[in-house]
Amino acid sequence: MILSKFYRNTFLVLLLSLVLSACATQKAVKIDSKIQGDVYTGTDSVKYLADGVKDRIFFATNESVLTTASRDTLRKQAAWLRKNSDITVVLEGHCDERGTREYNLALGERRANAAKDYLMTYGVASDRISVISYGKERPVDSGSSPLAWSKNRRSVTVRAN
Amino acid sequence: MHRSLVISFGFHIVIVILTVLSLPFIAKKPIDLPPLISIELIQITDKTNIPFAPKAKKIIEKIKKEKDTLVSEQAPPKKVKKENPKAVPSPDQKMKKIDEAKSEAIPLPEKKAKKVKMTEEKKQNPTKEDTKVKQVSEFEKEEIIDPNKIAALIDKSKKEIAETTKTTNRVTQSQDKNMNISGLTLSEEDALKAQIFGCWSIPLGLPYNENLLVKIKLKLQPDGSVIKTEILDHARMNKPGQGFYKVLAESALRAIQLCQPLRVPTTGYERWKDLQLNFDAREMLEG
Amino acid sequence: MKKIKYLIFILFITIPTKSFSLIEVDITRGNLNPLPIAVSPLSYNQESRSALEKELKIEDLGSEISKVIENNLKKSGLFNPLNKDAFLQKPDIAHLKPRFEDWALIKAQALLTGKVDLQDEKLRVEFRLWDVLAGKEMLALAFTTVPKNWRRVGHIITDKVYERLTGEKGYFDTRIIYVAEEGPKTKRIKKLAIMDQDGFNTKYLTLGKELVLTPRFNPTNQIVTYLSYFRNLPRVYILDIETGIQEVVGDFPGMTFAPRFSPDGKKIIMSFAKDGNSDIYTMDLENRIVERITNHPSIDTSPSYSPDGKYITFNSDRSGYQQIYVMRSDGSKTKRISFGNGLYGTPVWSPRGDLIAFTRLHRGKFYIGVMRTDGKGERLLTENYYQEAPSWSPNGRVIIFYRETKSGDQGEGFSATLWSIDLTGYNERLVETETDASDPSWSSLLSN
Repeated sequence: MILSKFYRNTFLVLLLSLVLSACATQKAVKIDSKIQGDVYTGTDSVKYLADGVKDRIFFATNESVLTTASRDTLRKQAAWLRKNSDITVVLEGHCDERGTREYNLALGERRANAAKDYLMTYGVASDRISVISYGKERPVDSGSSPLAWSKNRRSVTVRAN
Repeated sequence: MHRSLVISFGFHIVIVILTVLSLPFIAKKPIDLPPLISIELIQITDKTNIPFAPKAKKIIEKIKKEKDTLVSEQAPPKKVKKENPKAVPSPDQKMKKIDEAKSEAIPLPEKKAKKVKMTEEKKQNPTKEDTKVKQVSEFEKEEIIDPNKIAALIDKSKKEIAETTKTTNRVTQSQDKNMNISGLTLSEEDALKAQIFGCWSIPLGLPYNENLLVKIKLKLQPDGSVIKTEILDHARMNKPGQGFYKVLAESALRAIQLCQPLRVPTTGYERWKDLQLNFDAREMLEG
Repeated sequence: MKKIKYLIFILFITIPTKSFSLIEVDITRGNLNPLPIAVSPLSYNQESRSALEKELKIEDLGSEISKVIENNLKKSGLFNPLNKDAFLQKPDIAHLKPRFEDWALIKAQALLTGKVDLQDEKLRVEFRLWDVLAGKEMLALAFTTVPKNWRRVGHIITDKVYERLTGEKGYFDTRIIYVAEEGPKTKRIKKLAIMDQDGFNTKYLTLGKELVLTPRFNPTNQIVTYLSYFRNLPRVYILDIETGIQEVVGDFPGMTFAPRFSPDGKKIIMSFAKDGNSDIYTMDLENRIVERITNHPSIDTSPSYSPDGKYITFNSDRSGYQQIYVMRSDGSKTKRISFGNGLYGTPVWSPRGDLIAFTRLHRGKFYIGVMRTDGKGERLLTENYYQEAPSWSPNGRVIIFYRETKSGDQGEGFSATLWSIDLTGYNERLVETETDASDPSWSSLLSN
């Protein structure tokens, strides 16, 4: 009686370990490679200010925190701005549609300012950067999917001159 | 070469065996989980959306009020006289129920006694009880009653009947206690109510948190047509801030007009030729 | 033995009496059906008719006015205007002395009759409201105005009838200001538009060259405040409806948005965003004094005054997520009042002072709801995939809001529409607009 149990359990353990290892790879395939931690990581809709300098950074829902990738992009933007000291920029803050209109205006402003502060710590003078929020008024993707929304949660650096 | 292979193999087997043995489903018996109870989280608000809840609240409040008003009722005899007419239907109905219960094969003495106790208290309340309360399922009513009272009642079930009539008489001076001669029977009342329910268009614009009770006295013909209507508390119609009362009263009058001839009992004209209808819109609007 | 004695005692007392007591029956149920009302076309004589026809180019003004009334009553959800084809009495006779049996026959409980006259270039409208079942007159009034205001006469009559039959003030002689939208979602063209609450007389106040959002009336309905991206600088403006003149509010070094008027019309309350932080400020329109109301590193926006001007409700994420707060109008004693799951936004104080309407977002769905001013008694009125921005009718009974719909996941078939719903959750209906619409705001009664 105990022995049969023993065999059964051994079999189950082996089966389980196989299944788990299989599942691990399955999961990796299912996750949308363009979103990580609710932040868009793709390049669709991304434009370039200069070679290798992306013009925008992305955010998680309701957040204005800068990700590692965002900081990398901003550092590159700061370097480019330091090199071209006569260029001024406007940072546009945007949100996805899943929020009320007025709050999204404020959140867009917060996002753009997060980017501005970071650029300033990397040597860009504040009088070269102005900030504007469009809330959810100017989405880049009008769809209603998590992917579309993640593309809209952004701060875009636009040349002003 | 061989040796290392064997040792490695042996160690692997050991690990597998250890895992197998240490897994919980071997060591312990499977636990018998109780069946899952699904709980619905209802948002608790002061005024719930459950239609019968306000009734329950009313019942509880009335019972509380009864305790307070018991003393005051007995003091002024004039008021007490007014009690008489209002109290009439209740004891009769309850008597009927009690009689019915008696004739049942296994009457539950607690139930009977409870009913009686309820009516006793209700009679002493100056405002007429919501008859709907009486018709509420037995289950609901019982839930609300104080368990202590129930214990006390169990012993005195039969005596209660006589005692209650005695006590009510003390308060209410004279009564015609024979049922089926005064008051409407349950079925007669139901018939009339059902008819008027269909005719009364409750104005939706009424403020749902105000007193929405209007009492109308009727004088009826034997065939149920209305000779005269009188709105009690007529002064309230023109009170500032109570503009809705006029609207409510008018809607009640329209209901009566629309429902003519009223569904009155076929016999005993003397007892129902004067009728009072208490229109209360609160339940419909609150729920 | 004692028992028997008592019983005998009782019988002695009770048997002799023969007085029958007054039976009381409690009526606690009725139907919530709309009240059947017959709206008779207004009557008028031949000369007025031809004169009016010439001036207004309308064939049958009496009939048109009664249609305005009928539509209003029907849309309120509280009345059921009966089919005119069934009417037995002619309008002119009905107005003098209606045969109530005729009207009761078609199940009308109330009857509205009236007369239209053109006197000295002025339009005079007289109406009577009858209680068909009681057989008497309930209300009789007359109005005089310029002929082109005939629609407003219909609305004012509806207000009077509504008030007489429900006890509540009406909301029909009002206007709605909203944002008219066109174009693809990624590049919407938005204009300020104003219309009568029944959808007629739409007028556009801006051209659509710059983005405009969240317009609101002042208490006298003459001035509108809104957010405009004129010259790419998002700021709060005011616009005079009569003259069309726009003026920026204050001189703020950053974005101002979410504006509303104070109940006395003297101040504008709004949010001002600087360096990533949004706080609530007021500015007096007369002396231009700016006052800071909130001072907190969180986002504070969507402020709305209580009708007595003593309190302000607003939206803040100081707790980590968007929630609703109430504070005194000087910014003191801030208290959170929303506690359910999800996010809360766009709080608006009811003109009756008893409730606050809001938008709630939970598990991917948007809800329009109301709660008492202490946060208790929260009731959700309607649920949808995308809707927000409730605004109250002046009698505090009806809420207007907007919804966005898409026919597909890719954003195709995008449309924005205005909807209204009764406070009880009944009578949700589409408010028709010429174009797509969003951000609606209800005026107060024009005839005040």
